[in-house]
Amino acid sequence: MTRTLIDLRPVYVVGIGLHRYQRLSDTTYVELGLTAVREALADARIPWSEVQSAYTGTALVGMAASRPMLRHLGATGIPMAQVENASASGSTAFRQACLEVASGICDLALAVGVDKPAPVAMAPGKTNLRDLTGARVVPFTHFALLANDYMNRNHVTAEQIAMVAVKNNRNGANNPYAQRQKAVTLDEVMAGPAISGALTRLQCCPVGEGAAAAIVASDDAIARLGIDRNRAVRVIASVTRTERVYREAKNFDAELTGETVAQAYREAGISARDLDVIELHDAFTIEELLYLEAMGLCAPGEGARMIESGAADIGGQCAVSASGGLLAMGHPIGPTGVGQIAEITRQLRGEAGVRQHPNARIGMAHMVGVGAVCVVHILRHD
Amino acid sequence: MPERAAAQPSLYSAESADPPALNGGRCRACGYVFFPPQSYGCESCGAPPQHLEPVTLAGRGTLHSFATVHLHQAKGIEAPFTVGVILLDDGPAIRSILTSRTDEGLRAGDRMISTMVPQGRDDQGREVVELRFQKAASDQG
Repeated sequence: MTRTLIDLRPVYVVGIGLHRYQRLSDTTYVELGLTAVREALADARIPWSEVQSAYTGTALVGMAASRPMLRHLGATGIPMAQVENASASGSTAFRQACLEVASGICDLALAVGVDKPAPVAMAPGKTNLRDLTGARVVPFTHFALLANDYMNRNHVTAEQIAMVAVKNNRNGANNPYAQRQKAVTLDEVMAGPAISGALTRLQCCPVGEGAAAAIVASDDAIARLGIDRNRAVRVIASVTRTERVYREAKNFDAELTGETVAQAYREAGISARDLDVIELHDAFTIEELLYLEAMGLCAPGEGARMIESGAADIGGQCAVSASGGLLAMGHPIGPTGVGQIAEITRQLRGEAGVRQHPNARIGMAHMVGVGAVCVVHILRHD
Repeated sequence: MPERAAAQPSLYSAESADPPALNGGRCRACGYVFFPPQSYGCESCGAPPQHLEPVTLAGRGTLHSFATVHLHQAKGIEAPFTVGVILLDDGPAIRSILTSRTDEGLRAGDRMISTMVPQGRDDQGREVVELRFQKAASDQG
């Protein structure tokens, strides 16, 4: 018999921390990661010596990233491992930490995401399979093609898609950890420069450096260490899936997200309308529309109109990308998925300040990665 | 007549049908037709390599979506250029560089055909040709 996360013993996020996402600098990955972990320990009000296991989500730093960073908190001898899952590396590290605590193997685990822009060897390029376009189609063109299809099918304009960047940059302007902290107008987004198809520069996420950390704990650890229960946020679903062969559909990104999210809703016992906050993989504006539809937040083809109506704003039906999302907060790869958990935890605790979505109780984090993989977590504040 | 060389010989032959065909694959176990060709195993049903066979895919299809790339630094092509998703009449959806640099005059649903575009010469002096797609003339679709 198999079981889902919610059937195991409860696991809670008890500490969150970040290093601001920023352009590549001389700061070492060690300093980035330690800043986030120390902030998470301070947030949980626990010492490093209580952490029993650590997972580092990283795709670009290189082999053996964890201990050369974490030993500077005190070399306690705990298990450590790196998790690489493309853009979903941080999300997958967080999942491993949750599973370890929920299964009872440990009481308190750390997930930290850290990365700095660097050349990376991509395994799909080593399969010896070629296609007609080769290196001439990079992610922004993959999504520009989906944007073109979306506009054709739904009679949506390029300006309507660009509205996602206006919303998310408005949110990012109020997030001290965001790489882009400046509100922009629709005219500024549309003014370019043009990158690919309908996508302009501000509709593509910045990829910089940064770090994010989340500490997860069992009820036993919370009781033993006197952690504040009112600030603990329960993880009620952790689901990850990979792409299948979708014979009819031409948009595997949306299909994969739809089936992963559907499984997460089932496991958590919720539906789309129960969600108060969502952090999703808005690496490009068009993705937010496709995923909102795939998640059932609106009817197919209605994503652009949902954004225009303000329903995805902070204070709307469901705050989407309240952190600024990948578009404004940034997408340093390893940290991104853990940073989403930090934002949702902050929102559900009611500690998000000027970004606070009123009465936020249930939140969902969603990342996709090249390959293709999808990782979804649902969090609830009881 | 000087010999021609395909820019990607695993995907198409330099001297093939008009319009040029693509090298695809087919699973004899489940019928799944795919591009690019591979002999690792069937993605759809998991059948091992001995069930996979080469199949020729006609260079005809329908334009599903397109995007003009304005910013690009890879060698061998200068921006702007236009990429299209084409639903081949023989099954798979593929991505191809289009012959037109911009998307002017293109519409989803347009009939498309393949063509060979010269890309200079290789170190043996042969003309290198790349398979791209273009909008079909009204009598070609």
